Formats: sequence, C-alpha cells, structure tokens
Amino acid sequence: MAYHSGYGAHGSKHRARTAPDPPPLFDDTSGGYSSQPGGYPAPGADVAFNVNHLLGDPMANVAMAYGSSIASHGKDMVHKELHRFVSVNKLKYFFAVDTAYVAKKLGLLVFPYTHQNWEVQYSRDAPLPPRRDLNAPDLYIPTMAFITYVLLAGIALGIQKRFSPEVLGLCASTALVWVVMEVLALLLGIYLATVRSDLSTFHLLAYSGYKYVGMILSVLTGLLFGSDGYYVALAWTSSALMYFLVSLGCPLPLFPWGWSLPSGAASALSFLPGTLFANSSPRSRQHGGLSPPAASPALPDSGSCSLPAPHHILADLPPGPVTPGPHWH
Amino acid sequence: MAFTLYSLLQAALLCVNAIAVLHEERFLKNIGWGTDQGIGGFGEEPGIKSQLTNLIRSVRTVMRGKKKNEWNTLKF
Repeated sequence: MAYHSGYGAHGSKHRARTAPDPPPLFDDTSGGYSSQPGGYPAPGADVAFNVNHLLGDPMANVAMAYGSSIASHGKDMVHKELHRFVSVNKLKYFFAVDTAYVAKKLGLLVFPYTHQNWEVQYSRDAPLPPRRDLNAPDLYIPTMAFITYVLLAGIALGIQKRFSPEVLGLCASTALVWVVMEVLALLLGIYLATVRSDLSTFHLLAYSGYKYVGMILSVLTGLLFGSDGYYVALAWTSSALMYFLVSLGCPLPLFPWGWSLPSGAASALSFLPGTLFANSSPRSRQHGGLSPPAASPALPDSGSCSLPAPHHILADLPPGPVTPGPHWH
Repeated sequence: MAFTLYSLLQAALLCVNAIAVLHEERFLKNIGWGTDQGIGGFGEEPGIKSQLTNLIRSVRTVMRGKKKNEWNTLKF
C-alpha cells in the first residue's frame, strides 16, 4: 500500500538522507533534502517556503510523510466512492466544450429559427462531443447560466437595497431544488409513459438548464429597460426556447428495439410545460399561484427610466431574514 | 417560495412514505389498483395505469425491507 511504502522509504531516508523522495501529493521541484544549495538561489531565504527542508527534525519528516500518504489514500477513496455514483467519463462528455461551441450554442438558444440541421452526429455509435457537434447537449452552459442567474438575482436585490449574503445561498438552493424536482418529474413522466429513448439523466439536466440562459436575458433586460423590456425579452426567450426544444425532435432516429419516441420529441413534450412554468410572467404581490424557479422578477411599475427602482423586482424573496415556509408576497 | 435542500429531502421522504402506507387489501383493491388485478400478459404497451400500479408496488416492497415479491423490480 502506498502508506507503507511511503513510510518505509521515508524512514530509511531520514536515516540515510541521500535520495530525495518527494511525497506523492506535492509536485514541487525542491526535492533536495540533502545539501543541494545550487538548486536554490538563496538557501537561507528558501527555508521559509521550502516545505521539505525541515532542518533535521526526523519526527517532523516522518509525520509529514505520514500525513501526505494518508492524504493520498483519502483522495483515492474519494475517487472510488465518486465513481460508484456518477460515471465520470459520461460526465466528461458533457463538459468537452470550447469557446466557439459556447458562442454558437448561446446564439442558437436565443435565435433557433434559422438553424436547419438538428441531428446529433454520431461516430461509431457514440455521439460526438459538443466540441465537434453543435447539436450535442452540454452541461457547461447550464452550470454557468445557473450560477450567473444566482449572482444576477443578488445584484437585482442589491439594487433595491434588499441584499444580504444569506439571500444568495437561499436563492441558489431554491433554484437547485426546482431543477432537481423538474428532473425527477421528467423521469417519472418518462417512466410512466414508457417512452424508450436514449435520454439519460444528464441529458435531462442539460436541457432543463438551458432555460436559465433565457431567464438571465430577461432579468437583464428588465433591469435595463423596465417592465416593457422584461416582457418583450420574456416572450422572445420563451418562444425561442420552445422552438429549440421542439426542434430537437425533428430528425427521427428510429431505435431498433420496439416503439420509441425520438429523444428530442420526448424531451420537447416533457419540457414544454416546464418551460411555460419557468418563464411564466412575474408575480406581483397579489398573485399566489405557482411561482417560477428561485426568484423571478416581478413587474416594476414604471417602465421608462433606464435603471428603474423597482420595488418588487424579485418578489418571492422576503425582505427580512429568511425563514422557510410559505411566503406569498 | 423559499426552498432549501432540507425541505426537498423532507418532501421526498413524506411522498415516499405516503406511497408506502397505501394498504393493499383495504384500499388499493377497492379502487382497482391492486397488484393482481388486470396485470395482463406481457403486452407491448403496459399503459399508464399498470405502470403506476407497478410503481406503487415496487415502492412498497422496497420500503418494507424484505423482498416478499422477488419478481417485481423498479424498471427505469
């Protein structure tokens, strides 16, 4: 085991003090335990930040070796546990993006009406990674859009002087809860309707994260242009996202095992209610109803000034300290 | 609505518990959602009602901890 070998090697080393054995975690080049003053510009000055050179304290050397081998053992254990739950290779597929793909995909999400070919290309039975295929789903954009949305909600709250650091965390967890609930509802729907498609959970996660891009644009436009801008942006991004999701089903790859909906059509039909739900118009104080995920902007009353002072731009978050429970504003 | 992850956990637990306490003989048979009613053969399309019945039965079996019925599994 790594622990024993590290311990043994280090134990013999501190007696012999000849060949340096850098601990597995630290990749620093200052491997010279024994006198290698030529390696450092100023050996005296380097003592402070040269971790390995402990001025001849054998117990400290042993303890450090022990600690680093324990740390590497812990790292291996964490990796093993993670591999049991999440297939990291499949996850890596979704993050294989580059700048050109992200730019084109964002443009596609906002304006999908002129895109012709919606098929996901395959190469030897495996779908091409997003880097090489514009139509492939990815998880980078949804993750970034989610985080940006939370930060933007914080900014919008700060404009109204309603910000506090707990609000950010609450907004993030609320949005995460909505995402999880939506993916669970979609999985349940797919199971009940016995739709056979190649939609994995990560695909569902990706497609349900794409709506955050539209939400960000709507909130930004609402902040800049007031309520009219917000409604226009909302209508535009909602219809664009609906068109995008429906178009995923246009090419019809037929699967050999029985009746199955094309994956895009399945996802589109499942996502339409979700899209309508998420992009539904903002709530003013009177509406109870279903609220959009996290904190969706409410109507600022005045729509003309460039930076309005909207008193309820994010109507769902209570102004004071947050307590869980039904808060209808 | 301000949700937290803990409230999601609570809601999930309560939902699963609600499904698990549906009594087979007193309740499900009276609505016609019993496990031995109309499960039919291995047809092409099971239909939503039989999928729901299977789901309820699977949840109850898993929650009970002892696999009384070996041949029902939760298929996704």
